[in-house]
Amino acid sequence: MTPVLQQLLLPLLHCLLLLCMPILLTGVVNRTTSWWAGRRGPGLLQLGWDLRRLLGKQSMRGDHAGVLFRAAPYVGLAASGLGAAMVPLLGQFAPLQFPFDFVVAIYLLGVARVALLIGAMDVGGAFESMGAARAAGLGSYAEPALFLLLGSACAATGMTSFADVIGRLHQTPLFALMAIPLLLALFILLQAECSRVPVDDPHTHLELTMIHEAMLLDYSGPELAAMQFAAAVRMALYAGLMTTLVNPFNPWLQPLATIAFSVCGMVVVALAVGCTESWVARLPMRWVNHYTLGASVLALLGFALVGLGMFGT
Amino acid sequence: MNQLILAVLILMAGAGLGLLPVRNALRVACGLTSQVMATLLTLSVSVPVLLGAADITGAMPWAYPIGALHFHLDALGAFFLTWSMPMTLLGAVYGVGYLRAYLDGPRHLGVHFALLNMVSVSFLLVYTGEHAVTFLFGWEIAALSAWLLVIWDYSNQKVRFAGFNYLVSTHVGLIFLVAAVMILYTRTDSWFLDDFGVWLARNPGSLRNAVFLLLLTSFGLKSAFFPFHSWLPRAHAAAPAHVSALMSGVIHKAGLYALVRFIFLMGKPDEWMGWFLIAFSVVSALIGALYTVGQRDLKRLLGYSSTENVGIAGIGFGIGCLGLSWNLPVLVVLGFGGGLLHVLNHAFFKCQLFYAAGCVYRSKHSVDMEHLGGLMKQMPVTAACFLIAGLAISGLPPFNGFASEFLLYSGLFSSLGQDLWVRICLAVVAAALAFVGAVSALSTTRAYGVVFLGQSRDNSLPIGHESNRWMLIPMVLHGAGTVVLGLAPMWGFALVAGPLRLLLRGNTDAVMVNTLLVAHHSLSQIGALSCVLLLITAVVLWLRFGRRRSPVLPTPAWGCAHAFPTHRMQYTGTSFSHDFAHQFKNVLGLVQRGRAPSGYFPQSSYVVTDCVDAVERRLYSVISQGDETANDLSGKLQEDDSRFAFGMALAGIVLIAMMVFLLEGELP
Repeated sequence: MTPVLQQLLLPLLHCLLLLCMPILLTGVVNRTTSWWAGRRGPGLLQLGWDLRRLLGKQSMRGDHAGVLFRAAPYVGLAASGLGAAMVPLLGQFAPLQFPFDFVVAIYLLGVARVALLIGAMDVGGAFESMGAARAAGLGSYAEPALFLLLGSACAATGMTSFADVIGRLHQTPLFALMAIPLLLALFILLQAECSRVPVDDPHTHLELTMIHEAMLLDYSGPELAAMQFAAAVRMALYAGLMTTLVNPFNPWLQPLATIAFSVCGMVVVALAVGCTESWVARLPMRWVNHYTLGASVLALLGFALVGLGMFGT
Repeated sequence: MNQLILAVLILMAGAGLGLLPVRNALRVACGLTSQVMATLLTLSVSVPVLLGAADITGAMPWAYPIGALHFHLDALGAFFLTWSMPMTLLGAVYGVGYLRAYLDGPRHLGVHFALLNMVSVSFLLVYTGEHAVTFLFGWEIAALSAWLLVIWDYSNQKVRFAGFNYLVSTHVGLIFLVAAVMILYTRTDSWFLDDFGVWLARNPGSLRNAVFLLLLTSFGLKSAFFPFHSWLPRAHAAAPAHVSALMSGVIHKAGLYALVRFIFLMGKPDEWMGWFLIAFSVVSALIGALYTVGQRDLKRLLGYSSTENVGIAGIGFGIGCLGLSWNLPVLVVLGFGGGLLHVLNHAFFKCQLFYAAGCVYRSKHSVDMEHLGGLMKQMPVTAACFLIAGLAISGLPPFNGFASEFLLYSGLFSSLGQDLWVRICLAVVAAALAFVGAVSALSTTRAYGVVFLGQSRDNSLPIGHESNRWMLIPMVLHGAGTVVLGLAPMWGFALVAGPLRLLLRGNTDAVMVNTLLVAHHSLSQIGALSCVLLLITAVVLWLRFGRRRSPVLPTPAWGCAHAFPTHRMQYTGTSFSHDFAHQFKNVLGLVQRGRAPSGYFPQSSYVVTDCVDAVERRLYSVISQGDETANDLSGKLQEDDSRFAFGMALAGIVLIAMMVFLLEGELP
């Protein structure tokens, strides 16, 4: 490809992935769980149809809810969207790259989370606030893990931007040691941040056991669509990160292979999420935070392995 | 120099004149006018110095033991003066609104505003004092006026106790400071901070380490680092809102100023000092953040978040120290730059939060979260200010807290040439900083959600209303600062660059310019991204609501089959933090009391969870134990036995003589 084409094409592809993969991945997860349950399940693009239906609907709000309730889903969507521009999905490429951009990306996802919490609290209902409290607690365990994970990847690669740190890790001699703990840590973070079993059950109907869904209880119409899409985008980002970690191709030299690997990898991650969801029961609420803490422990293990590897060389 | 001396004289004259008039309005006017004049005079001097003009020095003849008061305003002092003076003025303006009910009453308001003037005087002395005694004077004036300001409501025993607690703590800090100054004086035979600096730079060793620890303890007590923070939540809860705001946002920054000043003087600190400072600060930040989660009293919560934020700034200074001792200019800029920028940012959003809390108190007569709720509809401006400042204090973009934390993270991940264990330690610090940020996001959401969203939890309280303009304008101005410094953090960095140039004096010009550019560049990127975030959000919101295509219809909130939900079914602050706080119950000192429902026809039942300060409780138990032990011992002694008294006195003299002898033998 010519350089100009690359400069245009790769960001476009990144955006396209961000638009399509959330829908596809949610479909794959749901299809997988249905398959294990012996059902046929909804189509792969069902989320897309759901979103379209919701966008055409009129929305309602709780009696006491105010401006923040209405604005929160869009603030969350905007912040996740901007953050997603720094997360590498296609190998070592991200549309926005600068030193320590991962700090910005993580904090933008934090903005999205806080917007969600405040929107939920604006209703003033007990269930929404309960969900918000749980999500806020989970978030405080997840964020340090991400920083530890990126810190160990930084130490191994000597790079500073998100795309380089994650995308070039496979070029370091320590990759074979670090890949498994880091992938596992990211997988746990995916489950925690995207409210998947065993941390949270997106299909539960009992309010007292909800985390993410409890915050969405009062949303409807386009706002609900924005919330659901933002959650799906978050899952795509984590799946993309896991794929990028092991993506051996160079997006500038082998663009087609990179894209194919990315898409397949993300689908595989979604399959794994679906399988875990079918095989494992969700954890009791009091263990959920400990499980999330496991991601930090794994990231620290990654550090230890970097140390061992450097000691060895 | 003349402007500064004039400013001091005007402030003191304003304080004196303010006591004379008969009417309160005139007294207040005296105070405010002198504050405005002094602020303008000070800014006319400090801003040029900060932006690169030559330092200003001067001396004033004084009585015998001091000889002459020497002043020296350099970029570091100018940086602190430039925002401390206007913010104190804004605090005084807020105070007019906050105390408006007293304007026509019999209470003498002149004293209060005179004390606020004295606070400004203390800034002028501390931030320009070159003579150690001038510095200590300013330090003591700040402590005493803050104490007198705290006990505004002195008829209340709790307030008096809080004030006394503060007074004792701050003087314990003074003892450490005086001890350090005495050591330095005996070594240098001079009262000048610069001479102290020369000695400190040339004599690394155990005595310098002792001085460092003494100073750190003293400044830690001043700025309320953990475990020296126990006076803080009480004092902040007891004081009027503008006094809490000034203490937390401005006055106690003097501790951080002094810390940075002595690090500057030291030139090249030892590596352990950097690590020690980082560890000390991380613990402060963590404990401060965790304590904010459990608080019911809004002002106590904000008090603990001061401990958290000085910890965050301290992490920056620690990184800077490491940079100094490793000769890494980039780390110096990122560490000290991030720390100082955070000090500035914290002054903006913390005062804003306290002002908002003060507005809540004035309209509802309570800052107990469990009785508040739904204030956003009654006090929209206050609610917006609290939300903005709350997001900023959690370090979230697009507000200013994020910019300084970003510099700190850059510093923590930048030590690429170092050993692996260094990188691991710094990454763990980064993870701790992330945890602190997430926890303070939790407590911001909790405080904001419980106080301003939903409905009121206690209908016996008066209906909230927006406060008067005297209170709103300072709060909104602080809010504007928070937003502007978030969207254009490089402007904040331009203020910090002056002190940083002082630190990088030893390097070549090219290195200095380049390293400053690195930080400036990354902050510009952050600013641009913040603007983009605001823009995208605005566009998305406009697309959805701009043309009012589909209205949002009200409907009863989801109540899970509760047909008639009441305001008492809302989540409380305690329930919000219950799960999280109980995971840290060993740190937090949660105390639960209550009566469980029992019997076939259960009657009234209740449960109350309090988050008491573990340090304070421990402190009091140790003190009372020590008291008992001393009592026991003295009971066993025979008081009228003169032989024993003589014997002990002799032993004491011998002990002191031995100490002198040993120290003389060891030290040059």
